Amino acid sequence: MAANGKLIEIEDLTKIFYTDEVETHALSGVHLTISRGEYVAMSGPSGCGKSTLLSILGLLDTPTGGRYLLNGNPVENLNFSERSRIRNQEIGFIFQSFNLIGDLTVEENVELPLTYRAGMPSAERKRRVKEALERVNMAHRMRHYPAQLSGGQQQRVAVARALAGSPSILLADEPTGNLDSKNGEAVMHLLADLHREGSTICMVTHDPRFARHAEREVHLFDGKVVSEQEQKKMEAEAQA
Amino acid sequence: MHNLWMDVRYALRQLRGSPGFTITAIVTLALGIGATTAIFTLVHAILLRTLPVANPAQLYRIGDNHDCCVEGGFPGGSSDSGDFTIFSYDLYQYLKRSAPEFEQLAAMQAGQWTWSVRRGSAQAKSLRGEFVSGNYFETFGVGPYEGRMLADTDDAPAAAPAAVLSYEAWQGEYGGDAAILGSTLFIQARPFTVVGIAPPGFFGDRVAGSPPDFWFPLNSEPYVRGDSSILHERESHWLYLLGRARPGTNIAALQAKLSVDLRQWIWSDPKMTENNGGSIVYKQHVKIVPGGGGIQNLQQQAGAGLRMLMILSAVVLLIACANIANLQLARATRRRADIALRTALGAGRSRILREILTESVVLATLGGAAGLLVAFAGSHTILALAFPDARYMPISASPSWTILGFALLVSVITGVLFGTAPAWLSLHAQPAEALRGINRSTRDRSSLPQKALVVFQAALSLVLLTGAILMSKSLARLEHQNFGVVTANRYVLHLDEAGAGYSIDRLPALYRQIEDRFSALPGVSSISLAMYSPLEGDNWGECVIQQGHPAPRPTDRCGSTWDRVSPQFLDSIGVPMVRGRNITDQDTATSTPVAIVNETFAKRFFPGKDPVGQHFGIDLPQYSGAWEIVGVFRDFKMNMPREDIHPVYLRPLAQQFLSYKEQAMITTENQSMFMDAMVIDFSAPQENVESLVRHTFAGIDPNLTVTGLLPFDAQVEGNFTEDRLVARLTSLFGILALVLASVGLYGVMSYFVARRTGEIGIRMALGATRPNVVSLVLRSALWQIVFGLLLGVPAALLAGYLMASQLYHVQAYDPVALAGSIVVLNVCAAVAAFIPAHRAASIEPMQALRVE
Repeated sequence: MAANGKLIEIEDLTKIFYTDEVETHALSGVHLTISRGEYVAMSGPSGCGKSTLLSILGLLDTPTGGRYLLNGNPVENLNFSERSRIRNQEIGFIFQSFNLIGDLTVEENVELPLTYRAGMPSAERKRRVKEALERVNMAHRMRHYPAQLSGGQQQRVAVARALAGSPSILLADEPTGNLDSKNGEAVMHLLADLHREGSTICMVTHDPRFARHAEREVHLFDGKVVSEQEQKKMEAEAQA
Repeated sequence: MHNLWMDVRYALRQLRGSPGFTITAIVTLALGIGATTAIFTLVHAILLRTLPVANPAQLYRIGDNHDCCVEGGFPGGSSDSGDFTIFSYDLYQYLKRSAPEFEQLAAMQAGQWTWSVRRGSAQAKSLRGEFVSGNYFETFGVGPYEGRMLADTDDAPAAAPAAVLSYEAWQGEYGGDAAILGSTLFIQARPFTVVGIAPPGFFGDRVAGSPPDFWFPLNSEPYVRGDSSILHERESHWLYLLGRARPGTNIAALQAKLSVDLRQWIWSDPKMTENNGGSIVYKQHVKIVPGGGGIQNLQQQAGAGLRMLMILSAVVLLIACANIANLQLARATRRRADIALRTALGAGRSRILREILTESVVLATLGGAAGLLVAFAGSHTILALAFPDARYMPISASPSWTILGFALLVSVITGVLFGTAPAWLSLHAQPAEALRGINRSTRDRSSLPQKALVVFQAALSLVLLTGAILMSKSLARLEHQNFGVVTANRYVLHLDEAGAGYSIDRLPALYRQIEDRFSALPGVSSISLAMYSPLEGDNWGECVIQQGHPAPRPTDRCGSTWDRVSPQFLDSIGVPMVRGRNITDQDTATSTPVAIVNETFAKRFFPGKDPVGQHFGIDLPQYSGAWEIVGVFRDFKMNMPREDIHPVYLRPLAQQFLSYKEQAMITTENQSMFMDAMVIDFSAPQENVESLVRHTFAGIDPNLTVTGLLPFDAQVEGNFTEDRLVARLTSLFGILALVLASVGLYGVMSYFVARRTGEIGIRMALGATRPNVVSLVLRSALWQIVFGLLLGVPAALLAGYLMASQLYHVQAYDPVALAGSIVVLNVCAAVAAFIPAHRAASIEPMQALRVE
């Protein structure tokens, strides 16, 4: 654990995509710090780089340049296995499209990340799965398959899966994007409850209503972190 | 029609748009359809096709098995079953008179011999000839290509000797020379007039690797064979009978009637009924079978193997179909969005079904066309393997209308088979899917049928692999068994002394000269002469009587193979004596008549006794003291490599037994004085043996024809042509099945990876490592193989049981074969699955999630 309580520190982070002869600068010199226990929302228009930033934070992608410290340890140059281990133990993902595996039951879906942890006894896995599902009020649907659940229920199961491994941080990518407003609000309340219980959360959203649930909002525009005022000004200029 | 044409064009465009799929599918189908069609070509040519004669359906054969070539008394096997298949000339004429139900009843020689044939002053050729009755060609309804065919008038004792050449011999041996018609050919130094040329494509009364080059009348047999003639020996059976029945003939009634006539004929001959022979007359009978396909010797010998190959090739085709169905299922799933969109735009189900089935049939037709090319090449290769020594191929490998029809039928059935399931699945595409675009929690509807197909393929592959290993093992055991002879650096050649005009009294001088000349050649260790050599397909058998024993009954096991040999014979084939002495130069015409016997002979006829010093003879008690046994040699395979070693006795070259009173026995003894085979044992590998041999014979007598020359090991190998063909094709099908099943599994696992890329991304996001991903894919593959084995092992055991008759010294339930095929299948499956597994593990998680 970082001595200063900072969970994530990124400095001058860049990400460039190369397609044929076109260079796309998805992130250009991003600086960001997230402390333990913080609830951060990253907002911005489509294509501003927020999902790319979240992927790099979740070690699903690697930056082109810059520095990334997780728990005080540099992670930008880790190999595939080390990144897999950290994703499994330190990070919990919540996706916009839930990404539950259709062939597995709710219980098996939640247990899945735990099965990748060598040495964890089955009883321990079962206990954690049960606890995680109880936290999201889905324990009664353990034997169901994802297709038998509503979108809101599926996302709650996805949250339980993210929680089961007791990660250092939950990364949520547009968690309400595929939900109606009622279910969207329910998921936001669930995340707020988790934050109150001590979870660190970083959420990507383009909806200001949901961004306000976070205690801090980071605005991205054209791959850079900007202030809210700067963002509005840039958006206005772009529309004009 | 317009819509159909549109569908075909659309199908072709679709196939052109997926070249990888199209090429894989066409190659797979070409192999499956090609293999099946190639084997069907062989099956059709050998088992199904009728002779190229008039109204073959009217032809019937009296007799139903392949007893051959000259048999005395009750023909072989008849003592047990009573089934008469081979007939003497006297019996032929008797049955012919008894059966007016036949418009014509022809007789033809059961065996086909090689004769020395000379035209003018040219060097004599060694050609195959067949004695036939005068009405032979009339019975078949075959007219001449040139001249005339043989007639009843040619088949009379006083008729001028006449012969008919086959078209192929006329072309191949005499360059199509028109002047041959009416000219004289010297057959065994006897003049015959060539009266006609048979039409092209007529190879005689049976399918054989070496069809006759000419036909000559039965009544010319004494003229050609002199003292060795058997035409008028009442109890020597050497003819097959085939007739053209009158329309409306009740064949069952005719069969019963001729069986009664046969028994009457037997009762009329005291020689047949003596020594308790009368006790088995009641069960003697004939069977009348359809004869449109001619004499079915080859069909009976090769039928089981061919039928097995046909089944195996059909299994390969099934595996190929399963592969294509799998590919189509994967395509259908990928095309769901396209079909959903078409449905949303108002396309009816029947229209979509038609499109998909059209594509399948178009693909199958393309595969069928490519398969025909494979079949054409394959059947040529198979025929060359099946008839390695054929001078004129009696079977055409070119696709006939039947073959083309078969390939077309197979293609259409294949197309419908592998098109139906994908079409059915595609019909479940909902129009709403076109709008929804992606599935949030996908369960792949096609994966279960795909996996079932892989299970099916794995099971069938195991059956073919096990069969291939069993057949290969059987062939290896057959070829590498201990024959008891040494073949290295040995050559066997065949002579035709009678064809060169030699009579018995001139033979000793000739043989002395041959031995002297060849022994003096550099590098020759030993040479020997024999009536025939081991494992060349010839066999002389007699009924042995130990001195003082009564005449054997027809059911007694008195048979023994015998051969007449020169003193060096055993040395030249590497067989040692185990007791007593060998035949020597001191065993002359005037010394004590002696014989040496093999260990099996000693055990069979003198159990518990020392055979050396014992006496025996053949056929009749009065001759039972004819020869004294002076030695016992080690057992070796003289003939029938699949069978246990028979009793064998050898008699000296120089000792002719002159005490026989019966004409048949005198004839046989006379004939046995001609040494047709010669074995040359070189001390080291030798080159240019043929020129050396021909040059040496030219120095002895230029008229002496060498009718064949082969390394001894090649002669031994020649016994296994059919076994080798079946084993090679079975192995080929096993490998083909394995490749196709591996491709199938690879396809399914590639599809698995492609469909589950998103899931793999999710798993990676949740912490799955690359080994975790590889393990996920391999586990899925393994389960399919395990289910395949569960089905395949009992099926392979059943297949082994059904193949048992084809196996030599290999158990049908051979654990090594089964374990070997399981290991091979698993290794191939692991390789086939590892490639997509490795690809899955190499996907970057972010890339995988983008797919989702």
